[in-house]
Amino acid sequence: MNIRCARAEDVVGMQQANLFNLPENYHIRLWIYHIITWPQLSYVVEDSKGRIVGYVLAKIEEESEDKPLEIHGHINSISVLRGYRRLGLAKKLMLLSQEAMASVYKARYVSLHVRETNKAAIGLYRDTLGFEVADVEKGYYADGEDAYMMRLNLETEP
Amino acid sequence: MSKKAAAPSNRTLASKESTLFKELLSLYENKQLKKGLKTADQILKKYPEHGETLCMKGLVLVHMGRRDEGIELVRKGIRMDLTSHIVWHVFGLIQKGEKKYEEALKSYMQALRFDKENMNLLRDVAQLQTQLRLYDGLVETRHMLLRLRPTVRQHWIALAVAYHLSGNLAEAKKVVVEYEKTLKNVPHYDVEHSEMLLYHVRLLEELEQYSEALTLLDVSAKDRAIVDKTAIMEFRARLLSKLKSEEAEHAWKVLVEHNPECYDYYKGYMSNQNLDLDKNPAEALAVLREFSAQFPKANVPRRLSLSLASGEEFKALAQPYLLSALKKGIPSLFVDVKSLYTDPAKMKCLEDIAESIRQDTSPESSVPSSSSTEPTTYLWSLYFLAQHYSYLSEHTKALDLLDTAMSHTPTLPELYTCRARTLKRAGDFYGASRAMEDARRLDGQDRFLNTKSAKYRMRAGLIDEASALLGLFTKKDAPSPGADLEEMQSLFYLQEEGDAHRRAGKLNLALRKYTAVQRVFDDYEDDQYDFHGYSLRKSTINIYLNVLNWEDHLRSHPSYIKAAIAASRIYVDVFDDPKLASGNVDGNSTDAEKKAKKKAKKAHQKEKEDAAKKAATAAPNNSSNEDKGLDVPFKDEDPDGMKLLSSPEPLELAWKLLQPLTTLAQNNIEVCIAIYDVSIRRKKYLQAAQALARARALDSEYPDLHVRIVHARHFVSSLPEAIPPPVGPVFNETLDKILPEGVALETYNSQYLQTHSTSANAILAAAQASRVLGAPLQEVENLLFTALGDGVQLDIKTALDISNFLKKVKSSRVDELHQALDTKFTISTAFKAPEELAKLRELTVSTNMNGSTEKLDNGTAVPIENEAELGKGVST
Repeated sequence: MNIRCARAEDVVGMQQANLFNLPENYHIRLWIYHIITWPQLSYVVEDSKGRIVGYVLAKIEEESEDKPLEIHGHINSISVLRGYRRLGLAKKLMLLSQEAMASVYKARYVSLHVRETNKAAIGLYRDTLGFEVADVEKGYYADGEDAYMMRLNLETEP
Repeated sequence: MSKKAAAPSNRTLASKESTLFKELLSLYENKQLKKGLKTADQILKKYPEHGETLCMKGLVLVHMGRRDEGIELVRKGIRMDLTSHIVWHVFGLIQKGEKKYEEALKSYMQALRFDKENMNLLRDVAQLQTQLRLYDGLVETRHMLLRLRPTVRQHWIALAVAYHLSGNLAEAKKVVVEYEKTLKNVPHYDVEHSEMLLYHVRLLEELEQYSEALTLLDVSAKDRAIVDKTAIMEFRARLLSKLKSEEAEHAWKVLVEHNPECYDYYKGYMSNQNLDLDKNPAEALAVLREFSAQFPKANVPRRLSLSLASGEEFKALAQPYLLSALKKGIPSLFVDVKSLYTDPAKMKCLEDIAESIRQDTSPESSVPSSSSTEPTTYLWSLYFLAQHYSYLSEHTKALDLLDTAMSHTPTLPELYTCRARTLKRAGDFYGASRAMEDARRLDGQDRFLNTKSAKYRMRAGLIDEASALLGLFTKKDAPSPGADLEEMQSLFYLQEEGDAHRRAGKLNLALRKYTAVQRVFDDYEDDQYDFHGYSLRKSTINIYLNVLNWEDHLRSHPSYIKAAIAASRIYVDVFDDPKLASGNVDGNSTDAEKKAKKKAKKAHQKEKEDAAKKAATAAPNNSSNEDKGLDVPFKDEDPDGMKLLSSPEPLELAWKLLQPLTTLAQNNIEVCIAIYDVSIRRKKYLQAAQALARARALDSEYPDLHVRIVHARHFVSSLPEAIPPPVGPVFNETLDKILPEGVALETYNSQYLQTHSTSANAILAAAQASRVLGAPLQEVENLLFTALGDGVQLDIKTALDISNFLKKVKSSRVDELHQALDTKFTISTAFKAPEELAKLRELTVSTNMNGSTEKLDNGTAVPIENEAELGKGVST
């Protein structure tokens, strides 16, 4: 398995892996938008034939007038195809993205949404990566399920 | 939109209306559509033929969703005032919304003639020129913009990018340098400026000015002007290597340290050290050993070592590699090592290791229990070996191993997916679907398993049942699961369902899906449009240039190629036998398709009614402010693909699909063959000959190519008169190089057959060729039946191809062939008699449907014995 920063030509592979794997899907436009706006933050895993088997799609939320927030990163979507689990790929993808958020954008923290029933994912975020539940968003998902908003403070360089 | 002096008299408005017109423009800018419409009508009351107002009103109407009405007004407005930049600008916007970029550009150029320095126009022109890849024109436009507004940072970057795209890197660099001079204070920690500098470094690298590039990189990194650490490290290592600097080795090491799971970094390190992996594996292995020691958790150096090592050393490395993965229960282990199987010795070695781990960890093992005898290690070794034997087509062995594994642990979905894959390979598509459904039911929340099960249902021809499964994860308010997946650009779904329809003979529905694949790629292409402006504002130029390059090669994607070839084959078949189109009437729609069609019809009806209602109450105040945009919404006017199938020009439709592949997929032999098939029928003889020559250079013995060579020669000799010059002689010359004129084609064919007498594919090709040459059916049949002979290598796929060909030539021996194939392929159900197939289908549907939403409580709910019996016992 090869882990590297996502490239322009990866967008279709990422989109299709997402469609195969997760219920929340996006048009290609959104994938291109993320890669072009924050080219340093998204990572992919490819197999020996160059097929995308895992990815993390991330962005930066900046301060704005209606959102008095600190600059922080946000994980839009992450998944690893079923056959490639237990290799720690999701963790490695997250760490690489988080590091880029901190070093390039000086992000203070990183946030994400997760289905409250997705125990495996919550385990990864909380126990392995150190995220904490910051909020519960009622009915966040299209099927009505609640989301945990989780966050993790990032160490930024002095 | 500014106005210029010396307007013609029919454009001049009285002062009240003139003010109203300015208001109208600003209302439009702010998308105050309702008010805009009202204002336009006020002007038109006094000046009913005022061209610019007519156009603006039309534009507003299009935004409100009243497209036809709006466009009519726009056209009228243009006629009234041909020299107004506004009317042409409006027309250009409308054409852009229709994705007619070339025509839009023409309108914009027309508008520019009447308002040369209009910034809005120039910006849009630049985007259109980029979209159309008209880079020389783009350079001019960008120059103009920069000249008009030299203080806008984006205009400098945009000009550099234009030069870059036009291939003039030196000029691009000059512009970037000039731009940097204009900066008074170099901002620190500014991501946009950082991206700009990284682009500058890239330019220098592409210009091969490596030391200049390195200096800029190092200085900017030190100043914190470039903030992207990973990019700095990557550029640095690459530049140092190109400069043959001693520091390069360290730079690559730093990268490996940064991300020890990235192959590129190891490769960069090795090639910097001049380590030739093929010639000098020992040294490379030593390096990898060091890396492994430094990063004990990293997988890449250990895995890379397996590729390089051989003999005893391979064994010594492979043993712990397999054992540790099996202990951890890593499901991808087999897929991971499979690529080593090209070396038979390595394959055998891996098999031996896995077998011995299985024996050591087996509950019946006589080996005293050690730390490695955990039950899960045993389970995963069974799984690994099942995949191994399945891959080697030892299906029964694989299935036995899976049975053992399932009785050990009945709840591991991977065992069922492996069983499914094995049965599929062995030709039992129904059994495969049942096994995949068993896997899915073990984890109903997992979309991956859901998608897999749906795919296997489609492979078994259970299209409606597949749709029902897919619907568990698609949007509930979509017209159908398929419609949602199509809307979300799922290439897998469109391809699989298209193929399923094609196998079922529903060519219209197959074309419908393949065309939807084509549309997804069209959308991928259109979607870059807005980024031509956006990326420059963000100054993320490196990635933007890469996106453009990706877009230029978009249709080399395997999904596009597959769909294009599959559709072009149908079009060729329909051209050869037009009855295929007329015989394929509505009666064969699946339930889901019928439903979708009904819905589409209803929606269409409703649309009509709505439009009628709107028209009836058409008054200035009846419309809302909702902006529907300028893009033409997609309307499915051919939900069952009948228009495609019965098109009077099937070859033109095929060519439209294949045309991009003439440059993007030249090295794909199937593409070459598809191009030949379409071109020879379109009487594009040069194209046909070139495609043959290219295919021959790729693989001169390729069975499908053999058929085409015979076809081409036969075709030429059957022409009533020679192809006229200049094409004729060139065509003949090319063909002569492939197969000299005068060679008897029957002889040529039998020679080919002799050379490849053990290949079932070659036998099929020879049979097809002799059919082309007009051999009697009986002779062709006899030839095909030799594929069943003992010495011939025949797999399920080729067997199905042979069966299909027999059906195509209307042979009466199809049943006989199927019986023989059924005996030969003991597990397969593909060649069963229709009544048996109907039973199997029924069984699959009912097992699949029973409690398809509930989870299995244990493995006994899975009819394992029944299935094994079906697989083996039913055959005669």
